Amino acid sequence: MSTATAIVFLGLGGISASKNLLKTVMSFQIVVFGVNLALFASGLGGQSGLVSDSLVFFSIVAGASVEAVGIAIVVNVFRKYGTLNPSEIRKLRH
Amino acid sequence: MSNEVALLSSAALLGTAVTALYSKRVSISLIMLFYSSVILGVVFTFYGSALIGVLHIITFAGAVSVMLLTAVLMTGESNLSIGAGAAKASLIGAALVLATVASSLLFGGLPSNLGAQPTPSPLAVLQFIWLYRPWDLLIMLMIFASSMVVVVNLFSKEGR
Repeated sequence: MSTATAIVFLGLGGISASKNLLKTVMSFQIVVFGVNLALFASGLGGQSGLVSDSLVFFSIVAGASVEAVGIAIVVNVFRKYGTLNPSEIRKLRH
Repeated sequence: MSNEVALLSSAALLGTAVTALYSKRVSISLIMLFYSSVILGVVFTFYGSALIGVLHIITFAGAVSVMLLTAVLMTGESNLSIGAGAAKASLIGAALVLATVASSLLFGGLPSNLGAQPTPSPLAVLQFIWLYRPWDLLIMLMIFASSMVVVVNLFSKEGR
């Protein structure tokens, strides 16, 4: 559980600090990994791990769907602005 | 044995996550992300959820990694060079070790005394979801389908 917490906070730090939208998507993937690990670890001590396994199953599918949308948005942003740096994109918008 | 594996896998997960986040090259980040997905899949398999482990590896190390690689190639963010000879050799060695461990755990089966509590059957998770959480399954299918519609819609705007 502590590893999962550390991975989630690492990913959140990566999301807030990254200067590249692709790195932001990768950081989100690391957050999803941490959440999956936390959900899985929550079911290890109990009688049945089926609830936690099903939650991890749903989390995997939801995380992959969100990432697919994120990658498509990143590619579209690159086509429109020619850069993946969020601050440069903000300047180009104005 | 279980504690040592937990410690090793935690260290490997944290190391690959930190390297993926703080590496300058996007290609190195991509490779480390691939490694961390495989390690997490191996952890799930080791603790008795082979179905979740295989699904995790297929989804994140397979599909999402290929999508990210395609995005990197389309945006030209990296020249996909992974550095000098030593870095290449270490990455290839790590990949070989990971592939060996993953394949032996996934396809060789686990001894009964390893892991915390092996589930009776990998398909028990699917049976449980089908019997007790069918609405969640429907919602998940709707999320997946709508995300695919959004992705197709975003990519169909090319040239406009």
